[in-house]
Amino acid sequence: MKRLAWLLTAAAVLAAACATPRHSEPRTGPFRPANAAEERGEIVFSNYCSKCHDSGHSGLAPGILPVPDALIRFQVRHGLGVMPAFGEDRLSPAQLDDLLAYLNAIRAHPPTVS
Amino acid sequence: MPLVRTCIAAAIALTLAGCYVVRPSSGGGQVPPPAARMVQPADVALPAGYRIEAVATGLTFPTGVAFDASGRPYVVESGYSYGEVFTTPRLLRVEADGRTSVVATGARNGPWTGVVFRDGNFYVAEGGETEGGRILRISPDGHITSLVSGLPSIGDHHTNGPAIGADGMLYFGQGTATNSGVVGNDNAQFGWLKRHPDFHDIPCRDVALTGRNFEAPHWNGSGTIVSTGAYLPYGTPSTAGQVIPGKVPCSGAVMRVPLTGGTPELVAWGFRNPFGLAVAPDGQLYVAENSYDDRGSRPVWGSADVLWRVKPGAWYGWPDYAEGFPLTRPDFKPPGKAPVQALLQTPPETPPRPVARFPVHSSADGFDFSRNPVFGNVGEAFVAEFGDQAPTTGKVLGPVGFKVVRVNVDNGVVEDFAVNRSPNNGPASKLGTGGLERPVAVRFDPEGRALYVVDFGVLSQLPDAKPEQGTGVLWRIVRQGAS
Repeated sequence: MKRLAWLLTAAAVLAAACATPRHSEPRTGPFRPANAAEERGEIVFSNYCSKCHDSGHSGLAPGILPVPDALIRFQVRHGLGVMPAFGEDRLSPAQLDDLLAYLNAIRAHPPTVS
Repeated sequence: MPLVRTCIAAAIALTLAGCYVVRPSSGGGQVPPPAARMVQPADVALPAGYRIEAVATGLTFPTGVAFDASGRPYVVESGYSYGEVFTTPRLLRVEADGRTSVVATGARNGPWTGVVFRDGNFYVAEGGETEGGRILRISPDGHITSLVSGLPSIGDHHTNGPAIGADGMLYFGQGTATNSGVVGNDNAQFGWLKRHPDFHDIPCRDVALTGRNFEAPHWNGSGTIVSTGAYLPYGTPSTAGQVIPGKVPCSGAVMRVPLTGGTPELVAWGFRNPFGLAVAPDGQLYVAENSYDDRGSRPVWGSADVLWRVKPGAWYGWPDYAEGFPLTRPDFKPPGKAPVQALLQTPPETPPRPVARFPVHSSADGFDFSRNPVFGNVGEAFVAEFGDQAPTTGKVLGPVGFKVVRVNVDNGVVEDFAVNRSPNNGPASKLGTGGLERPVAVRFDPEGRALYVVDFGVLSQLPDAKPEQGTGVLWRIVRQGAS
């Protein structure tokens, strides 16, 4: 079991290294939220996340890893490394749901521009 | 499965925990300057339907652009750059073929940080690194008149702007002397403390101090330990309850004067470096503020640059708040350093919340609002991000800024608008391309059909600032078929 956990972790890190988390309208085309949750999630991202993960890529902090929702929830709520924890007093459960909806939509947003 | 999840979380926690501390800083300026700057518009990516061209090249430290009554563009060259490089501040007319003609030259008191045109004259904010800040009026034949002088501008940050308000008054920003209220050895590194050893921040209103002091070995290497309090000269400690008298002009404020000049009137205070000022189509004044750095005697970590809607008389939080939140929040504690503690016994008021946040160290600077549907995004603010100056201002794991973004001022969403064409972010000199280097200001032409982008040029941080003369560019962005 422990070995499986490490393999999964390594896979996640490898995926992060290979992924391009950067969202940028000039490069990937405009992102149009498909629903209200994604629209609200975009606002949450701009207000809470983008200052350290500019457009999803590295800046003050590393780029956002394309890891499962559960891990993102865990990191947001508990804070890891230098990232602060965002408790429910700062980011409501509904806002966290919206944020994940947005991140997943961005991840699935196919690049249309080189 | 719970064990798997726990192990994964623990492993990633360890990985990420080590990331920031272990990884070296990788700022946009942390590369040797190129032998020559390439300028290739094709290396700049824009939303579909827009194109960019270089209007003028070879500029030295350009910081602003304005248009005369006939729509001709003019740029100001700063005359000073971080790195303690003094050149001649100049107002240049940009001819149709891209050549420039000198309209006016200033004294050794740069940086000129911006320019506007109104009723036949140019108005320039003179940063005043040697003699203090001034607001200048420059006639089309190059005659310079000082409208305001003696602004407290000989420190880290300068006299900025200007912008003409809906009331016809001339608004300008005044940056603070220090990073977070305490004169320290970082100010000697910047250079000004050696020239002006008694200079310090000045509050706009009376403030009472907590009496917190900060000790450091004297910058001159004598081995003496100096203790310095807030709003006081280097080496002067404060006491609990000590009241620092406020006065105007002051540090970290937006002030205004009539176009004919006069005594500055306070508009709002508690800013750190209100670099960009612009008026929205509805007449509302906005300010783009460069927030705290992780440097000096009182370092602050992770505070975003912000866009403020200016409310007359309000206090915006410096030196004890960022983004509307107290610096005592754990978020702002620099890794491996002491938590940030308050300097003021009582904040003057609860500061407002910002309209939008920009990435930490992005240096959100000059901006303008789109007014013409032909260009699009009417009502949104287009903001130049100069880019990080890591490691001097703090460590980053990747370049931050070096682009133009647009901001929805109703919901705070920030979107890239003009970026370098690369899988990675950064200035052209780091990417090895001919795209954007350090956008410092933007302005729409009088018809609102074209967005001009002032690109300061190459500024390396190795680790001290090393600006390259003659590498500045004026770009122009239009929507296809609209020019």
